Amino acid sequence: MSKSDDKAQTVSEKAVEVSSSTRQSSSSDEGSGGIVVLFFFIGLAISLIFGWMIFPKLLYSQKKQPINFSHSLHNKLVSNGCESCHFFRDDGSYSGVPKLAQCVGCHEEVQGDSPDEIEFVEKYVQKGIEVPWLVYARQPDCVFFSHAAHVKTAKLDCKTCHGYIGESESLKTYYQNRITGYSRDIWGENIAGIKKNTWDRMKMDDCAECHQKLKTSFGSVQTQKEGCFVCHK
Amino acid sequence: MKQEQGHSKAKKFGMVIDLDLCTGCGSCMVACMAENNVPFKEDETDKLKSITWMRIFKFSNGKTYPETDVCYLPRPCQHCEGHGGHSPCVSVCPATATDYDAHTGIVSQIYTRCFGCRYCMGSCPYKARYFNWFDPVWPDGMEQYLSPDVSPRMRGVVEKCSFCYHRYQIAKDKAHYEGQTEIEEDAYQTACAQACPVKAITFGDLNNHSHAVSKLKNQPNAFRLLERLGTNTKVYYVSGREWVRRAGDNYLKAEWPKKTS
Amino acid sequence: MKIDRRSFLALGVGVVAGNALSPVPAILTDDIAIWTQNWPWVPVPEIGGSAYADTTCQLCPGGCGISVRKVEERGVKIEGKKDHPVNNGGICALGLSGLQLLYGPTRVKTPLKRAGKRGEGKWIKISWDQAISEVAGKLNDLRSQEKAHTVAGISGSSSGTMTEIFRRFLTAYGSANFFHTPSIQDTYRLVFEFMHGKKADPGFDIENADFILSFGSSLLEGWGPPVRMLKASKKWKDTATKIIQIEPRLSRTALKAERWIPVTPGTEAVLALSLCHVIIKEGLYNKDFLANSTFGFEDYKAKNGEIKKGFKQLVMDDYSPEAASKITGLDPAAIILLAREFAKASAPLAIFGKGQGILPGSLSEAMAIHALNALCGSINRKGGIFALDVLENKELSEVALDGIAEAGLKQHKLVETPHNSSGCLNQAFSAILKGNSVNALLVLEANPLYTLSDSKSVKDAFDRIPFIASFSSFMDETAQYADMILPNHIYLERIEDVPLSMGFPKTVIGLSKPVFKPQYSTKHAGDTILLISKELGGSIADSFPWKNYEACLQHVLSDKMDVLKKKGFWTATDSFPDFKNAFRTASAKFEFQTDSLSSDLVNVKIEGDETYPLVLIPYETIRLSTGYIANPPFLTKAVEDTILKGKDSFIEINPKTAQASGFSEADMVLLQTPKGQARVRVHLEEGIMPGIIALPRGLGHTAYDNYIADKGINVNQLIGPVNDPVSGLDTAWGIRAKLSKA
Repeated sequence: MSKSDDKAQTVSEKAVEVSSSTRQSSSSDEGSGGIVVLFFFIGLAISLIFGWMIFPKLLYSQKKQPINFSHSLHNKLVSNGCESCHFFRDDGSYSGVPKLAQCVGCHEEVQGDSPDEIEFVEKYVQKGIEVPWLVYARQPDCVFFSHAAHVKTAKLDCKTCHGYIGESESLKTYYQNRITGYSRDIWGENIAGIKKNTWDRMKMDDCAECHQKLKTSFGSVQTQKEGCFVCHK
Repeated sequence: MKQEQGHSKAKKFGMVIDLDLCTGCGSCMVACMAENNVPFKEDETDKLKSITWMRIFKFSNGKTYPETDVCYLPRPCQHCEGHGGHSPCVSVCPATATDYDAHTGIVSQIYTRCFGCRYCMGSCPYKARYFNWFDPVWPDGMEQYLSPDVSPRMRGVVEKCSFCYHRYQIAKDKAHYEGQTEIEEDAYQTACAQACPVKAITFGDLNNHSHAVSKLKNQPNAFRLLERLGTNTKVYYVSGREWVRRAGDNYLKAEWPKKTS
Repeated sequence: MKIDRRSFLALGVGVVAGNALSPVPAILTDDIAIWTQNWPWVPVPEIGGSAYADTTCQLCPGGCGISVRKVEERGVKIEGKKDHPVNNGGICALGLSGLQLLYGPTRVKTPLKRAGKRGEGKWIKISWDQAISEVAGKLNDLRSQEKAHTVAGISGSSSGTMTEIFRRFLTAYGSANFFHTPSIQDTYRLVFEFMHGKKADPGFDIENADFILSFGSSLLEGWGPPVRMLKASKKWKDTATKIIQIEPRLSRTALKAERWIPVTPGTEAVLALSLCHVIIKEGLYNKDFLANSTFGFEDYKAKNGEIKKGFKQLVMDDYSPEAASKITGLDPAAIILLAREFAKASAPLAIFGKGQGILPGSLSEAMAIHALNALCGSINRKGGIFALDVLENKELSEVALDGIAEAGLKQHKLVETPHNSSGCLNQAFSAILKGNSVNALLVLEANPLYTLSDSKSVKDAFDRIPFIASFSSFMDETAQYADMILPNHIYLERIEDVPLSMGFPKTVIGLSKPVFKPQYSTKHAGDTILLISKELGGSIADSFPWKNYEACLQHVLSDKMDVLKKKGFWTATDSFPDFKNAFRTASAKFEFQTDSLSSDLVNVKIEGDETYPLVLIPYETIRLSTGYIANPPFLTKAVEDTILKGKDSFIEINPKTAQASGFSEADMVLLQTPKGQARVRVHLEEGIMPGIIALPRGLGHTAYDNYIADKGINVNQLIGPVNDPVSGLDTAWGIRAKLSKA
């Protein structure tokens, strides 16, 4: 999908150039010809504005995380980096977002005086309710992703896919696609699907891109790429 | 970083099912349903519409009382290799929803990719593929037992046995975590093989000489279903009874007894 | 300047062009494609860490060890527990479906009180306090009217602490009318009482026998611990053990047997005794065992001085192969051959009982078959039958009785037999129909309305009982017909000891542990009984000094509890029963009970006359749950379409028999027996004796959920009980029947 979008982007840039040159030449025309061109551009402008500016706002609903959380603050306090909280279980599976039980170790009592901290302890810790975190990087149900394969065997850095979230002071707004229900991080921040960093998008093509580059033999008989069941369940 | 499967030998997972041991108790069928989030309806007696990735067939020697004899035959997806991975279903899929994985020998089915044309069902000689004619409905509260390792299917897609591929994923996860490159034979077993009380089902890598299946498939009494179609399946059956072996295909008079190649 | 049609066209073209240059089409196409794969009603299972929790299965009396795979707090799969003495990793289809019962729609979620007519299904949800005080109030009223003895209790099991507590409650209350769902175990206990002089349960050393003669037991269809038997079948193949299956139907057991011998049903005892005849005649019996450890083989002098015919003389006189041939339909030569093979095997074993052992069966038949074991010395030795001492609960103190309780216990019991009558459940209901009054009935994990033969009469008897309370976890037939339901936790939610009830050659107790928190507002039946007894007060409360059921269980199992909690099961240390104390009869030897083996006793009668030309037998398949637990949806899904299609049951019939009446495959026919009639479909099956028709047990439920209710026929509607002349237990293995076009 990303490649076609990239093309679409370049095409649209060229189109703008072309259309601006036509505008210059048409300005000398008289009568209805000018109106026609004007209307064409009004139409063009309407849908470009809609498509590039309004549509993204309509497509995603904004959700706030239940409480704020500072990765950078916690990162300074723990000894084992990200794995201190986002650890592997003994069976090699990945724990993902920590459960309340892990937080309770330090947060049984209110630490400091931040209102978020007070809310966290009073609303969740003391009542024993799990925090309903919104997970930015949650893949669809049909995807099997092995953190162990990527982190332990391929020695990928967390940043490769998750970026600098570990250094963030607060949690960003969670954008949820109204049609698919997925997090915006899957499609990526850029509505045109342009990615500058490896962590900007997390769609199937982004996985495939890397696999295609780094692997030598591919299982799929139909596609000559990675076998489907490598990442699907 | 070019690593992993690059230098390890391709696996070919398969099964050997001993029909003389099989009692037809149904454990494999239910173990499969429970493991793979297979849906169920109020009436499951129309077997054409009843989704059973693993199904036990029953057939007899055709003799009359009291000479009659019966054989139970568990039938999972046979994971045909055909020639070079062109199994009957893979060849016809227009959506690349089903595929043959040369690394494992498993015929995969991606439900979200499938659009339900059912060509694969028509091409499968073993009737191992099932169409979701209906939405899966779990009675209120019962969806709690659904396993997160297998994604539930939606109406309008085809599903079939995956050799419990998710168990391979889980076993590989553990191996990666522990820094292993290979997986032990017992670390990846299908739900049916695990549940079978008589151990009639043996599962493993047919290419790996230390796995039991690689020897069991070479028994003189081993055969495959509809072998002459060239489906080159990975599920072997074993029976000491000639009529059972003969029932594995529609042999002509001149073709039986089979010449050993 | 003119705005015309072209202008608007240009606007449209502009919109389209701009749209094409925007991300909208690409994103919408992609997202809509994804949306079509994400119907909101297709559930997405929650992810999380997975772990296994071990416990003991209680869905049948088999007592397999199970491991429940959990993802966080949810149970996602049940698997067989490795290294468990009973199943060692194997599991049956019913056990695998357990989570469908835990989360299923058939659970009773809160205490219920009947609102409409009985069985109508209208209920009011009530609180536990109200439920307990209402039951206690009802029981208190009856006690104050000196009607304590008119309260009866039915337990689904005959062993275990829970059953003991239930029985204890009734005793403390003042009623001796305690019953349990009968099984073949009741008959075997009487066999040991008569022939060994002790209270014992049978254990069969199946794995070490080399010649097994099964007189109709469905060894591979749910008999004994089912998984252990299936595992044994692999061993039989490996060690070339010979299994001979005597049965009119080609069951799974018969399929896996070396030989299937169809005989006229009901004549198994005659066949056993004629085998004895040949063994004695040819001197093939175990002379050492017979000379030293038996009494009554030769003629003997009875207490009154009368000379009585010994076993030897009896079988020599009455059970020659030729005579037996006429009755059993088996060739005399085949009988002689079978007898020789049996006696010459190094570890022969004869097993009595039809099907899974749901039917207690004929005591005389059981003794005839047990005598065959005795002739070959296959008792309490490797590969034979073991008489395992029944574990007594020594830890429970005497029940405290007040005046009312003592008076109540002295009253006439509903069923009076010379032996332990608690298995004579059929007779209890016929006694009620004869006018004996029962004013309250308490039912614990039993479903007599479905599992007892002649279900119509049982229902009529129910109608005469003013108050019925059920402790069932499920909306079963009996619960549905009750006045109040006080739902128990299901087996995955509660602590319980699970003694292996039958067939295993070792005494094993499993521990069922709560793997899940109670899903609904249910209460452990043990706690419910404790609370009711507290409410009743006085000596009844004194009989239950524990703060809760768990404390009681801890007290009862004191010495075993540590092992149970650690390993999940407890096994007796000795591998064989002590031979020295094996027989506690008057002669301190094995006694042939020749009185019970006369020809008028050994032929098990069958109801019906010649107007019914066929014989209907019920059969059991491992894919249909036959007891208190009904089939969960997965198990029903595994049922063949030659057993159930739509809502129709199929009868198995030999094509020759069917042809004679002009029936072909799938024809709808009317099946009539002296007890009732039903519309069924015909399934032609070469693997059944001509003249016999067979209907599976486990279908025809009227309660539970839509996945099992109103499917097929409950064979118990068509069969009436036939009481054994000695034990009083039900021996009805079949009934005469006829078929006509429907």
